[in-house]
Amino acid sequence: MAETPPVEVRGLTKRYGSTTAVDDLTFSIPAGRITGFLGPNGAGKSTTLRALLGLIHPTAGEARVEGALYTQLQDPLGTVGAVLESDSFHPGRSGRNHLRILAAAAGLSTARVDEVLATVELTGAARRRVGGYSLGMRQRLSVAGALLGQPQLLILDEPANGLDPEGIRWLRDFLRSFAADGGTVLISSHVLPEVAQIVDEVVIIHRGRLVAQEPLEALTTRSAGGTVVRSPAAERLREALVRAGIDAVSVGSDELRVAAAAERVGEVAAAEGIVLHELRTEGASLEEVFLGLTGGGQA
Amino acid sequence: MTRLLHAELLKLATTRLLLWLGLLIVGFEVLVISLQVGHDSLESLAQPSSQRDTVSIAAVSALVALILGIVASAGEFTHGTISHTLLVAPVRMRVAGAKLAASALAGASLALASAAFAWVFAALLLKARSVPVHVFSGEALRLVLGMVVASALTGALGVGFGLLLRRQTAAIVVALLWLLVGEPLIAIAGVQRYAPGHAIASVVEAGHQGPDLLGFGKGLLVALVYVVVAAVLGAIALRQSDVA
Repeated sequence: MAETPPVEVRGLTKRYGSTTAVDDLTFSIPAGRITGFLGPNGAGKSTTLRALLGLIHPTAGEARVEGALYTQLQDPLGTVGAVLESDSFHPGRSGRNHLRILAAAAGLSTARVDEVLATVELTGAARRRVGGYSLGMRQRLSVAGALLGQPQLLILDEPANGLDPEGIRWLRDFLRSFAADGGTVLISSHVLPEVAQIVDEVVIIHRGRLVAQEPLEALTTRSAGGTVVRSPAAERLREALVRAGIDAVSVGSDELRVAAAAERVGEVAAAEGIVLHELRTEGASLEEVFLGLTGGGQA
Repeated sequence: MTRLLHAELLKLATTRLLLWLGLLIVGFEVLVISLQVGHDSLESLAQPSSQRDTVSIAAVSALVALILGIVASAGEFTHGTISHTLLVAPVRMRVAGAKLAASALAGASLALASAAFAWVFAALLLKARSVPVHVFSGEALRLVLGMVVASALTGALGVGFGLLLRRQTAAIVVALLWLLVGEPLIAIAGVQRYAPGHAIASVVEAGHQGPDLLGFGKGLLVALVYVVVAAVLGAIALRQSDVA
């Protein structure tokens, strides 16, 4: 029997009047991995995540967490932790009291509140009112709320938005640590270079529809689809590759860019007895891939 | 449900809202009771009915409880904290139920505190003017019961209305406009006794109704109908809304 994916979206459609925010979207994410959920602004990322979390009602289709609709979860906070974009807090309430309220509703102890405050390094500011928190501190408070129930799945909507470099580094380290402990993360972001450093898988949507879903490495490699080779006999190698029916272009006196897998290039070079100094697969950056797939839409 | 009720009560207790509303009540009572006891004749002040009228200012708690209920519900949308609430408790009808119960409890508590201050303050001022104190008579104390019930009802009414409008300031303004302008206007048609504000006032008066109010029982019934209708409509609005 197939294992239930932590997140499963099937035929999800959400319309606001004549505007279709999400259009028949289907994807699932694997357990124990960090999956980036990418798309230009207005692609439908936040709408999809909010449908997953039971905050908006789909027009059609469904979005499930651990095999169930969010509204059916017996222990929502213990199943999934969520950080929403531009998370809002009552400015007159302290960070600790905000978490105490969540803990009370979930039947968790105040001791657990203090634990998560320590985890996100907010203990010192815990009794200060949230209105005086920096954006980074608010994001940490959001993460603390997501961790309260000790879930194995985190859903984060643009968590790096507005964070300074220190905050981004903290978030990256935290998510890596969470995934290393077996947790699953679904993270939406438009900060593509940042996402490229932490995600294992990528789901890309554009205009509410799925554009691509695969491991990050496979996506970047496939999209570039080339091999770079350096050899002191570059011209002789190029001629051999062309004879073998492979496109190859000189990009320097000793370097070729070849439209074939590295293994095939190596075989041709070996057959001709040509010495190689470098043989590598060239992958495009995630940003290049993303812009290519979405027609250059703003990330 | 008990957990959600606890969480809702914590929400009310962990901001300065209750403090400000409490100070508003105390300030209002100090002003009105001081003016009345300071200016009325000793003969008038000695009347039990006059003393009952003096402390009846504590019924302002019913209006304050209405505002409290609106803030407890619509305020969640204003501050965006409704997302957090629904992530912990995704069954929205339960959330609405907990809010109704919490605001009713908070309203009743406000009424008790309001009455306690008004009674003690009035008694001290009356004694200072050497007037015999009658505010602790059974008749006057029945007023406390009316205030507690009325404030619990307006707390719940505020929650239903707030969930329906989901805009804190707009909901408070509409509610005040209705009470201050709307109900006096419908008095022209002579049906004001059945309006929400007058029905609540009937409950407060607890048997000492004037001619423009319903009796206690009828008033309570009409007020309950308003509360139930507002609560049901508010809960349905919450259940059907998208939280963006």
